[in-house]
Amino acid sequence: MKRTVDVSIPVGPVHPCWKEPARVKCETRGEYVVSAEVELGYMKKGIERIMKGRPWQEVMFLAERVCGICSVIHNMVFIEALEHISGIEVPRRAALLRVIVNELDRMQSHILANFSYCYTIEHETLAMYLLDVREKVMDQLERITGARVTCAYIVPGGVRFDLRPEDAQALRLSLSAIEQEVTRYTDMFSGGPLIALRSKGIGILTKEAAREAYAVGPTARASGLGDIDRRLRHPTYQSLGFSPVVRTEGDNYARIMVRFQEIVQSIGLIRKCLDELPAGPIRGGGIPGAGEIAYSGEAPRGELTYFVKTDSAGRVLEISIQTPSIMNIEACCHYMLKGVSSMADVTSTFVSSDPCIACTER
Amino acid sequence: MKEALYEKDLTAMKFTILESRRHDRMVREIAADLGIPHLLLRRYLMENLDMLLLENLPARYEQGKKFQEGLPEVERALSSHLYTRAVPLINERVMDAIVAATKERVAAGIPLSEAVSAGKAMVRQVILR
Repeated sequence: MKRTVDVSIPVGPVHPCWKEPARVKCETRGEYVVSAEVELGYMKKGIERIMKGRPWQEVMFLAERVCGICSVIHNMVFIEALEHISGIEVPRRAALLRVIVNELDRMQSHILANFSYCYTIEHETLAMYLLDVREKVMDQLERITGARVTCAYIVPGGVRFDLRPEDAQALRLSLSAIEQEVTRYTDMFSGGPLIALRSKGIGILTKEAAREAYAVGPTARASGLGDIDRRLRHPTYQSLGFSPVVRTEGDNYARIMVRFQEIVQSIGLIRKCLDELPAGPIRGGGIPGAGEIAYSGEAPRGELTYFVKTDSAGRVLEISIQTPSIMNIEACCHYMLKGVSSMADVTSTFVSSDPCIACTER
Repeated sequence: MKEALYEKDLTAMKFTILESRRHDRMVREIAADLGIPHLLLRRYLMENLDMLLLENLPARYEQGKKFQEGLPEVERALSSHLYTRAVPLINERVMDAIVAATKERVAAGIPLSEAVSAGKAMVRQVILR
């Protein structure tokens, strides 16, 4: 006679589908996941401790090293926090260039997240297509900033490099190619019957649960929470008429589709920036001074907050970083994974929340 | 090696999480509200919550504080949502019983502040038990 027993199954810390080490301990009844718990501590950097007491010129480079995937937004939020402390103005051209680079960063991050998901549900063809198109985005990021990952593009009062006309032309051409390919891959994803079997109705995060766990970014927007997008409160995005992508299903499928839709949205935002890009300076000047602030921005994974306290010389006295993955992984473990009816869906559900362990552990 | 590596003691990691500036501020605020030493509350959190929930506590705490502004007077005064759903310090059923007892006291003519203090003492008892 078949007997159902309770078993504790650890997934990770090293798993072929995960980019970084984390251990998910699942309490199961048969194939049914009763509860899940994440244990961290495999890649703690202690970067906040390293930042303390250092001048802002050093901390801005450390900030973008918190995460290798969304480094631009760490740079942007830290610098904009300093600008708010010291009342530094940013020229319009620089503000739009910041949006262009930030959206390129968001695009490559979303494509990588969707690659991971497709790889996890064993749709390797689509996964490899996505990696290929990500390279086109990375090439544009490199062309504008001079680096693929740690760009250090944003500085107090502006940006480091201007966008030359030939770069703008290349960016437009590349965006057209990326849009065409991403639209094709979105159709492949949304129309694939096997993908739907592995994604629809799995790992559901309800709107109430998302609010309770303070889920952020695409994870929350896939559960119907659109008002949590920090870009709605950013003056440059407001001037571009930004409105967030929202879905209501709350399952793995919705989370991936939100990212696909946001890639296309980012392309539109970059085009708008290029259209509206005025001539003028890219650096307004200004030196960071003393003050304290909690400043948030919208990272590819959601709300990123920096609590910064500086002295009159611009030295960082206190700093605390709240990254979006902290909230999303917690929502994933305590709401999405609870009730998953197959152990095979644990990895895909975990990956669908786009967990970044480097961000979480800092 | 006798013990599996992945079954290691996580106390030190949990303590590191709760030591951060934002976590420390939150722990002290809750401890002051409930009238218990913050060190005891920190130990309670380490013993009862997993690492990720601890990491996310300040965000949940802020969100919970915003949410409870819309609750009825007694629930808001006892932070019933905050201490059960946002920062899961006590069981929802236990909190419901405490809220019901507090409401009974208020209905019996005891001033709200006094009834809430008695309710908070019950919450404190549950945590310190």
